[in-house]
Amino acid sequence: MSETETVYLTSSARVGKMMIIMLGICIVGGVIFFSMWDYWICCPAPVVEMMSGAKDAAEQGVATGKTITQDLKFVESADGFSDLAFNALTGEPGHNPTINANVGDKIIFNVENGGKGFHALGVTSDEEGFGGIISGSDVASAASPLKAGQTGSSEFIPAKEGTYYYICTVPGHRDLGMVGEIIVGESTGPAEAAAPTGVSHDLSVNFVESEDGFSDLAFNALTGEEGHNPDFVVNSGDEITFTATNAGKGFHAFGVAASPDDFNKPLWGSEIASSSAPLKAGESGSSTFTAGAPGTYYYICTVPGHASLGMQGSFIVE
Amino acid sequence: MVLELQKPRPIWQIMFSTHHTDVGLLYLILSIAFLFMGGTLALLIRAELFFPGAQVIADSMTFNRIFTVHGTTLIFLFLLPSASAVGNYFVPIMVRYKDMAYPKLNAIAFWMIPPAAVLVWLGFADFTWYATPPYSIISSPGPAADMWIFGLKILGISSVLGAINFVVTILKCKHPDMSIGQVPLLAWAFLSSSLIVIVAIPTFAAALLMLLTDRLGVSGFFNPAMGGDPIAYAHLFWFTFHPEVYVLVIPAIGMMYEIIPRFSRKPIYSKSSGIFAFVLLSVVSFSSWAHHMYATGMSFTEKTVFMLGTLAAVPASGMHVFNFVATMWNGRIKFLTPMMWSIGGIALFFSAGAGGVANAAMPLDFTTHDTYWVVGHFHLFVMGTIAFGTIGFIYYMFPYVTGRMYNETAGKVHFILSFIGTILVFFTQHVLGLYGMPRRVFDYPEIPEWIIMNQIASVGAMIIGVSMLIFLINLIHSAAKGKPADIHDPFGLGGKYYYPFESKNPHH
Repeated sequence: MSETETVYLTSSARVGKMMIIMLGICIVGGVIFFSMWDYWICCPAPVVEMMSGAKDAAEQGVATGKTITQDLKFVESADGFSDLAFNALTGEPGHNPTINANVGDKIIFNVENGGKGFHALGVTSDEEGFGGIISGSDVASAASPLKAGQTGSSEFIPAKEGTYYYICTVPGHRDLGMVGEIIVGESTGPAEAAAPTGVSHDLSVNFVESEDGFSDLAFNALTGEEGHNPDFVVNSGDEITFTATNAGKGFHAFGVAASPDDFNKPLWGSEIASSSAPLKAGESGSSTFTAGAPGTYYYICTVPGHASLGMQGSFIVE
Repeated sequence: MVLELQKPRPIWQIMFSTHHTDVGLLYLILSIAFLFMGGTLALLIRAELFFPGAQVIADSMTFNRIFTVHGTTLIFLFLLPSASAVGNYFVPIMVRYKDMAYPKLNAIAFWMIPPAAVLVWLGFADFTWYATPPYSIISSPGPAADMWIFGLKILGISSVLGAINFVVTILKCKHPDMSIGQVPLLAWAFLSSSLIVIVAIPTFAAALLMLLTDRLGVSGFFNPAMGGDPIAYAHLFWFTFHPEVYVLVIPAIGMMYEIIPRFSRKPIYSKSSGIFAFVLLSVVSFSSWAHHMYATGMSFTEKTVFMLGTLAAVPASGMHVFNFVATMWNGRIKFLTPMMWSIGGIALFFSAGAGGVANAAMPLDFTTHDTYWVVGHFHLFVMGTIAFGTIGFIYYMFPYVTGRMYNETAGKVHFILSFIGTILVFFTQHVLGLYGMPRRVFDYPEIPEWIIMNQIASVGAMIIGVSMLIFLINLIHSAAKGKPADIHDPFGLGGKYYYPFESKNPHH
């Protein structure tokens, strides 16, 4: 060791220079990052389009009938993801309007993106997913969607009887509620109401949970207790007002469905809240709907899994 | 002086240097910068979870993006580079070689990190640091997800290049008079962890490519809609990243092996058991990956095998803890900041290890799987053990790097606040997990116990945040205006150092 060797020290100037370089990198990076905030998450993976294109889409029919013009507007709940719909949010009048048409009618869609996110329209005969879009019925696409405020139009001519769906073709949006039915021809599904009877019922249920919150879920009273999952009997065409109250601690939602497994397919607009925007503890909600064709239906908690844990009861239409 | 930021050279000369201490310095500055950036994201996450419902973060997608980048940053851009920083500084000196074996490769390995960091931070992907398929394939929006995949690819290559360099430096370039048994324990730590990296990383590199081709739609390895299996990804991922835990923890233990004998003013109790435990840890690190997947329907035999494989890490870890305690025993301990961080790290290592044993027992794992218990457990490891060891060592290196002393009082306050904060956050999260709170959630139901425990954890996180702010100010202020250190013995401990003043490696 040479005692004469200078010991160099870091200097204020050097440290300051280093801090300026690093802050500069952060500021430049931050500007790029925030100015392109939407760009970084704009495009679904290519596999999404390939998977949706894998199925054969139904074809447009030949125009022989009348022309129906339908205005559709994409709307979103305030947070932008918990509820998506056409024209009006869940529970409001004009929500996801059902279009009745006959084979050969020409349906013209005038579409507007009234939300903040990206949307696109298409008609499909698939009961789920975002594939099978009938060519010509689409406005924009998931890969190049309508941005907020943009508009477009398209037309759809049903080729055969049945139920078609107009949906938002951005993956996931249909599941969040952006779907409406197009009922074609005279076909009447089991969900179709008979002539209104003018009779109305007020029904109500409470969501209850066992102490631990998961081993037993039920309506009104736990398994084995009196008043557990009561049966309701109504006539087809009756107007029913259902009130559901969440008396537990977890999240719940209500709906009448053809099977307890159909938690994502509530019938007749009977749903109160939804699994993505559920009733929190103590909250309650109600819905008014008309009972459809006779049969045995189920009223269930539409939060996935809850029906199978016991939150289901019979809803009999005579 | 050993470490030569001090040489009055322009900054660009340091940046484009291939000298090991310069590259080490770059690693060190980068890792400290990302410690603060990743930590800020952690505070955002905790602020969001202070109350149920949305508070500071707009929506769940943004929340997912934040915790994905939080995890990726602190693991790949703080812990790994900070270990490389220490290794670059000390390994060549400890094996008495003039530089790393491949100086240019060393610089390349460092310079691969900034572009990768840019990809990860600009994209801000949202599929968790595990890149959960099939979400990462069909739902995660691009180009963020693809940028993350490429970024991690680059980081993986950088790790492998760095690891090759350490292995060759230690095994082939050590001084001919030095037997492998004489190589100090810190260098042994880098040898062990580098060997793990070389064996483990290629698996994840393959999985990343498969993930990318799945996203492009040309393959369906992990895409159930195309006949793939997401569990296969889990195996490939954890085959890399369970050993990766040891890659992170072994250098931190090596750093403690450097600090504890020095500040206890006693030789290490048993060096050979330390070496043995390092080698044992690197071997058994490969026998435990599937304990992350007990809940995926494995057979009883598989579960039992991986439970035993996981528990095999206990004796090796116990040897280290025993070694530390026995070294401190009857020593003339000087409780300066680096020593306090090391002792705190050992205490939390022991706690995290105890929680790990509970986790490894597969019947108990079913209770804790995917709850906040897991979050608490691995954070106690990465923060309580690895980051504590690393931060202690940063304090220890500070006088050698800058020629100046850090502020001792601020360092101690930093430790005490961090220690309290770490216990508040991560012990509470264990209990929160037992109360059933799932991990990776943006919102939670208003269960009184969940709320109060989330609030305790958030307060703890803010305490850590305050302590880290003290750390940052201390680093900047002391580097600029700190008291000049006595470079021969900055901590006033007496005795001999591995890296005396005169053992400087000349520039080339």
